[in-house]
Order: sequence, then structure tokens, then C-alpha cells
Amino acid sequence: MARILIVDDDTDLLEGQKVYLEKKGYTVQTALSIDEGLACARETAPDLVIADLMMEHYDSGFVFCKKVRDLPGLEKVPILMQTAAPRKMGFAFETGASPGREWMKVDEVLTKPVPLEHLLGKIEQYLSARSSHA
Amino acid sequence: MPEPGPAAPAGAAGTLVAQEPLRVMVIETEEGMRDGMRRILARRGLNARAVGDGEAALRMLAESPADVALVDISLPEIDGVSLTEQIARRFEGRIVVVITSALASVESAVEVTRRGAFDFLVKPFTPDNLICVVERAGQQWRLIREREKYLSELAGERNLSHQMINSMHEGVVVLNIRREPVLVNPRAEHFLGKRFRDGMSLPDLFPDLDAAAAVEAVIDSAPDHPECRLVQLSVGEGRLQVSISPLLRDGESGGAIVILRDVTETWRAEQDRNRFVSMVAHELKSPLSAIINYLNVILSGMFDDNMPKVREMLERCKVRGEALLDLVRDLLYINSREAGKVDRTIEPLDLRTVIQSQLDFFKVQADKRKIVLLLESPDACPLSADRGDLDRIFMNLISNGIKYNREKGSLTVRITDADASWEVAVIDTGIGMSEGERASIFQEFYRVKNHKTAGITGTGLGLATVRRVLAGYGGRITVQSQPDAGSTFTVVLPKHPA
Repeated sequence: MARILIVDDDTDLLEGQKVYLEKKGYTVQTALSIDEGLACARETAPDLVIADLMMEHYDSGFVFCKKVRDLPGLEKVPILMQTAAPRKMGFAFETGASPGREWMKVDEVLTKPVPLEHLLGKIEQYLSARSSHA
Repeated sequence: MPEPGPAAPAGAAGTLVAQEPLRVMVIETEEGMRDGMRRILARRGLNARAVGDGEAALRMLAESPADVALVDISLPEIDGVSLTEQIARRFEGRIVVVITSALASVESAVEVTRRGAFDFLVKPFTPDNLICVVERAGQQWRLIREREKYLSELAGERNLSHQMINSMHEGVVVLNIRREPVLVNPRAEHFLGKRFRDGMSLPDLFPDLDAAAAVEAVIDSAPDHPECRLVQLSVGEGRLQVSISPLLRDGESGGAIVILRDVTETWRAEQDRNRFVSMVAHELKSPLSAIINYLNVILSGMFDDNMPKVREMLERCKVRGEALLDLVRDLLYINSREAGKVDRTIEPLDLRTVIQSQLDFFKVQADKRKIVLLLESPDACPLSADRGDLDRIFMNLISNGIKYNREKGSLTVRITDADASWEVAVIDTGIGMSEGERASIFQEFYRVKNHKTAGITGTGLGLATVRRVLAGYGGRITVQSQPDAGSTFTVVLPKHPA
């Protein structure tokens, strides 16, 4: 079964998404910080990563994603970013524009609150795209 | 018949007209003629004086000038011609000279009019002839006076507008139709950090492309539909508002007038406000996301067979919901405080009593985690402050001291007398924090986030509010802490607010 890593500094958000996705049959690991998340990614090589944008710093999520993609074997791991930050916050992330996505090293940015069904749909979308490429 | 003296008030006519009677000086060799002329003029209501030679005339005029001088061309010593020239020179054309001469010397009289005399009168003349010429000379004198007055007003206004422009708080730049700056007031030089010099170009003054383009657009706009532009310009750390309006000359486009205003402070305040609103949105959405997730999981029915798990999730919803409410309360408090809507009532209070009652309030929470609350203090700690402010300061610090403590730890509040202030140390035995965390904890919405703090709720506004409230008293707060070695927050609170 696919392994998913969720990194967020909100324990309740992690817990809610974890129990939901586990019930849907995924193996879910959670991490509260980017260091913890990186250690976990290195160890378990997840099939998909979900990361929060604003953790220790306002751009922790970007730093994290960049470092994950630098890990051997994880160059192409799908990364979904979820954030409660309003669209305009110093930098404009237009997720539709590919140069922005390229720079951010994420596949898609989801705005919190992300409905669980929506999250599940996105996970399945990216995992199946991946397995069909493989 | 009594004659009015030379300096006597004017006759009946003079008192009836509002303006001062015309001052006429008769300079005439022949005594009979001289007196006769003076009498005719005085009877007419004019202020007439008479004198027999040029030297005396110049002396008298220097003491008290005349408006019109009737100069006999054949005076002894100084002749009429050179007297006319001297009067013109000394009184700078302000005295209108009329030459009187016998028929024999008419030619020279005409000559004198070329050298500055206004008119001439041929002897013998009738009283009407004399009045007529003098009145015409009087009109001429009034024209000269008006012109002088007008010119001096004009010069005064120019000087005034120059001074006004130079003393304005706003920067002013005037550009001509060729887009060349022709006027840059000192304030504009200061704002733009540039000295005005001849031959300056538009990009010299405004290297910013947007500002330069706006100036061009205004100058190029049709005079019957003149365009105005408002742009903002960053200069160094500051921000300028640039308002550009067309300069019209006789309905034609003649350039542009640029007014520069320093809006740095409002601009910064706006940015701070925007950032604050973004942070608030983030802080509101995070707990809502967590709550909605839990509720969705519960409602999906996937844990219907595991009631303890459902209960656990509902508990967390409640905790997060309550924290959300705290956040809204804190935000409203900060907002009303910023808007000056919080009335402080400064009254004599005892700090020990205030803190003791806060500790009493938190006893239930502390007992739950078996944390001992201690107060070390002098018997009485009098000070002047607002009760609500003191409660807010120590409620936040004591609440943090419990939340971030360990089970079976202790929280000590120690009050010490520091002359003009009370020093209050709030000492916990909790998780402590790193140097980086210490540096940020007084910022709005900053919360220490790690494994040890996971599950602890807070608004991220408590310490920021404490700091703000203390600033209102001229007080301050500092922190000493090491990871796992507890934290000590020290408040310095003046006994009497500034």
C-alpha cells in the first residue's frame, strides 16, 4: 500500500488527516518539523509527500520540498503543499503557472482547509499518474 | 483777505474729495507771478507752495516732496532745464514737472519736455490755463503712482509665491513642455536626493520609469481634457506620493506641475496592517482546518465502532474551538487598544494582591498537572496602574508558566522592590526554549513549535500583548531560558506610570 508522509506543525491537522487516510488504506507517517520530516523521508522513501508551507518559518515548506527532491530516489516524488496562507503574502504563488511550480518544487498547492475527500482525490490522482508512468 | 499758508490744510474742495489734495510746488523768479499762481492753485483746493529759486526748491522738496512742480525756465543760478533734470534724478520721476516760459523761449521749453518735463505752459496764461495744465499733470502723477504700486505689488507677489513654494512641506517640481525641470523647491530636492541644476532632464530627476512615464502622459494629454496622475515612488527606505497635473498656459499645454508628498509612515502602517491581516487569516484557518478535518472523519462514520477515538477527536475540536475563541478575544482587545477605545483607570493598587488573585484563579489548572504555585513578595507592593492591564500582564505570564511547565513542576512569582519600579519574575520549571525562540516570542503570532509544545494551544498574541501593555507604562519585559531548564520572564513595572 502506498506510503504517505505528512509534515505539518499542527498536531490536530496531522491526526485528522492521518486517521482518515489510514482508514482509506494508506500507510501514513507524520512529522511536526522539517527536520523530522526529512529524516522520515530519507528512511522510508514515501510514495507521496504532503507539506505545510508555514512552519518554523513562513517558507519552511519550500525549503523542505527542495530538500526532499534532493534526496536520492525522491527526485520525482509527488509533493502536495497545503497552506492557510492567503494568496498574497510577499510572494504570489500561482500554482497554475509551471515556472512557479518548478521553482517551488511542488506539484500542487492546496489552500487550507482542504476537504478530506479533495485531499484523497488529489493523492489518488498523483499516485495513479505516477504508477502509469512507471 | 487772509491767504492760506503753504502748509495750511487744503481748501473746501480738498476736504470734500477723499484723496489727499495734489501737492504743487511753484518755482518762479518773479514774485508777483509766484504769489498769483500759488493763490490760484490754493483757491482750487490744491496744496500749493511757492519758492523763488532752484536751490531753495530742491531743499524744500527734500524736506517735503511735491507731486507736481511748475518750473520757470529762466531761473537764476540753477536754470529750469538743469533743475528739471535734477528733480527727475533725485526723485526718480515721481515729481511731474511742468515748464513755464515766456513766448520767446518756447523752443527751449519744448526741448526741456524732451528731457523729462511732462508739459509746458506759455506766459502769459489765464488762471484756467494754469489749472488745466496742473490738473493734467496731476492725472499723470496719479498714473505714475498706480503703476509703481502695481509693479511693487507684482514683485511682492512673486516674492511671496517664491517663499511659499520654498517653505512648503510638499516637494514641488515644475517641468516645461520640453520635459525639462524648471523649478525644484528645496523639499523636492530633499525628497529626491538631487540638486536642481540647469539643463537637467526628466530621467535625471525621476529615474523611476513609472513616474517619468506618468509625467510624459500628463504633458502629452490634450489641453481640453487635461489628465492628472497619481503614482507612488520608492526612494531609499521611504515612499513618495507623486501627484502630477498639467501646467496650462493660455489654454495650451505648457508642461507639468509635480507635487511630492512623503507617505512613508502611512505606507509602512499599511504594510504592517496587511501583514497582520494575513497572519490573522492564517491563524484563523489553521484551527478551523483541524476542526473540520476531525468532524469530517467522525461524520464519515469510519470510526463508528470506536467511540473512544471519536470522543478523543471531539475533545480536540473543543480545545481548538476554545483556542479560536481566545484568539478572537485577543484580536478584539488589541484592536480596541490600538483604536484607543480602552480606557485606563490609573488607581492605587497593591501588586501583591493582584498577582495573588491571579494565582488563585489558576490554581485549578495548576493542580490538574500537579504544579505548585508560589508567591515570594514583600507584604505590600503599592503602585499606580490600571487593574485590567495588570490582570492581562500576569494572567498571560502565569498561564504560560503552567502551559509550558512539566508535570509536578513549580511556578514561582517573585516580586522585588527596585526603587522606582517593581520587578516581577515569573519562574517556571518547564520546557524552556532555545536562543532563536527567545528572540521571537514577543512577536505577534509567534509560537514555539516543536514536539514538546505540540498540543499546547495558544493564540500567539499573549506575550506580544504583554509587551504592548507594558510599553504603555514605560515598563519592559525580558526572558531568560534554556531548553529543558525552565524560563524566567522578568517584568519591570514603574510604580507610577510615565
